[in-house]
Amino acid sequence: MGVDVVKLEDGPGFPESELLSAIVESSDDAIVGGTTGGQITTWNPAAEKIYGYRAEQIVGQPLTVLSPDERIGEIEETLAKIGRGERVVHRETVCRRQDGETFHVSMTASPIHDGDGLLIGVSAIARDITEQHQARAAAELLRKADDLEQANRTLESFTYSVAHDLRAPLRALGGFTSALMEDCADDLGEAGRGYAKRILAATGQMSVLIDDLLVLSRIARAEMHPERVDLGAEVARIAADLQRGAPQRRVHFAIEQPVPARADRLLIRTALQHLVENAWKFTSGQDDALIEFGTVPAGDAHVCCYVRDDGVGFDPDYAGKLFQPFQRLHPASDFPGTGIGLASVKQIVERHHGRAWAEGEVGEGATFYFTLEAGEIA
Amino acid sequence: MTTRSILLVEDNPDDEMLTLRALKKNNILNAIAVAHDGAEALELIFSKASSGEPLPGLILLDLKLPKIDGLEVLRRIRADERTRIIPVVVLTGSKLEEDILAGYRGGANAYVRKPVNFAEFAEAVKTLGLFWLILNEPVPEFTPQPD
Repeated sequence: MGVDVVKLEDGPGFPESELLSAIVESSDDAIVGGTTGGQITTWNPAAEKIYGYRAEQIVGQPLTVLSPDERIGEIEETLAKIGRGERVVHRETVCRRQDGETFHVSMTASPIHDGDGLLIGVSAIARDITEQHQARAAAELLRKADDLEQANRTLESFTYSVAHDLRAPLRALGGFTSALMEDCADDLGEAGRGYAKRILAATGQMSVLIDDLLVLSRIARAEMHPERVDLGAEVARIAADLQRGAPQRRVHFAIEQPVPARADRLLIRTALQHLVENAWKFTSGQDDALIEFGTVPAGDAHVCCYVRDDGVGFDPDYAGKLFQPFQRLHPASDFPGTGIGLASVKQIVERHHGRAWAEGEVGEGATFYFTLEAGEIA
Repeated sequence: MTTRSILLVEDNPDDEMLTLRALKKNNILNAIAVAHDGAEALELIFSKASSGEPLPGLILLDLKLPKIDGLEVLRRIRADERTRIIPVVVLTGSKLEEDILAGYRGGANAYVRKPVNFAEFAEAVKTLGLFWLILNEPVPEFTPQPD
């Protein structure tokens, strides 16, 4: 169709020209004529609607006006092709409206020849494909999210099966070492029994690490059942349990209640348990301790909570490492643990589309923050 | 009291040896047959059921098995009138609830975590009321109960 537009210039009076003219006028696609040098000569109503310029504003301007700066090269390239007598068909590109907004178009450009076959201009048909483009982008995004979800599940099931399979040889190590100690204790001698004990201790430790991996993998795979949970009440319950377990300790709890949130009860309870137990653990060396639970303004999030203690604190240089599995900032001899608690907290919070971070100083206590999102929970 | 055998279904030779050792160490005198995959276990059980031979008095069943997995073995034992009442103790590799729950739904009587620690095994047997079955030489904490 573009090729024939030139016949319009043949002048009125030819029924064919009138027909073509009517087609151009009524087209939903922008149809633009230009000189071989790229100067706009004709501009149909659809072009006016799509680009925002009226014909009298734009005729005589260079075609490059319709392109965002970074795409001007494309127009020059197209004109060069036209100069060689070639067409550009359904090229997807970005154009610029009069108001400066950009939008996606599918563009076809053809050379216009006169009766003698001489190149006299260019016709361009541009279709606004913003909607298709958006739909495609949305579909692509969905597909990527699906891929990611799939990859995550694969990774989780891999973690699960590795952890599971690691147990079998570990059982043999532990089991036969025990058998050695029971059945061959005399032959082993004192040194031998010492070595065997070390093997047993190491297998025990590895068994705990594998359990932790399984816990993490389970958190990642657990089905979410969001409901309304009073986080303050959960913390109060955890605090009461801890105090019952160690009545000799003088720990003051300051707990904000209620702190309503939408969350998976089991998971968020696990996260709070880790945070409060951490605070409890890292204040264990002091006569008096204060552990606080409360909220701060949440910004974009649904709720932002913190658990603060006045315990041993941590070196803020390593704050990022705190949430990685098996990372510990204190020797196990001072404070027991495998370093899985905060990794679990992070994973749980992220499953609620929230964020977790920590602030602290050595000897100045620590504050752990997390946010939760009100919206849909993965 | 008839002597009932125990069937251990376990594909891992280390676990098999450790389990047999634990039972022997604790003076379990029952005959113990071992099947190394689910298919072998089913064949052993159902050939006895067909020929009228005495069925095992207790099955110790691993879940992850070659050919036919443990849960399927359990399902088929429970689906057959002749074998439905055999007590089954599921041996689990980890404490993962899903394994445990799946085991119960399939009709397991109890579960014991591997390696078969005798204390846990004894607890499971106690839970099942199976002291009458176990022919161990009486030790103080393990006195056979009257049937």
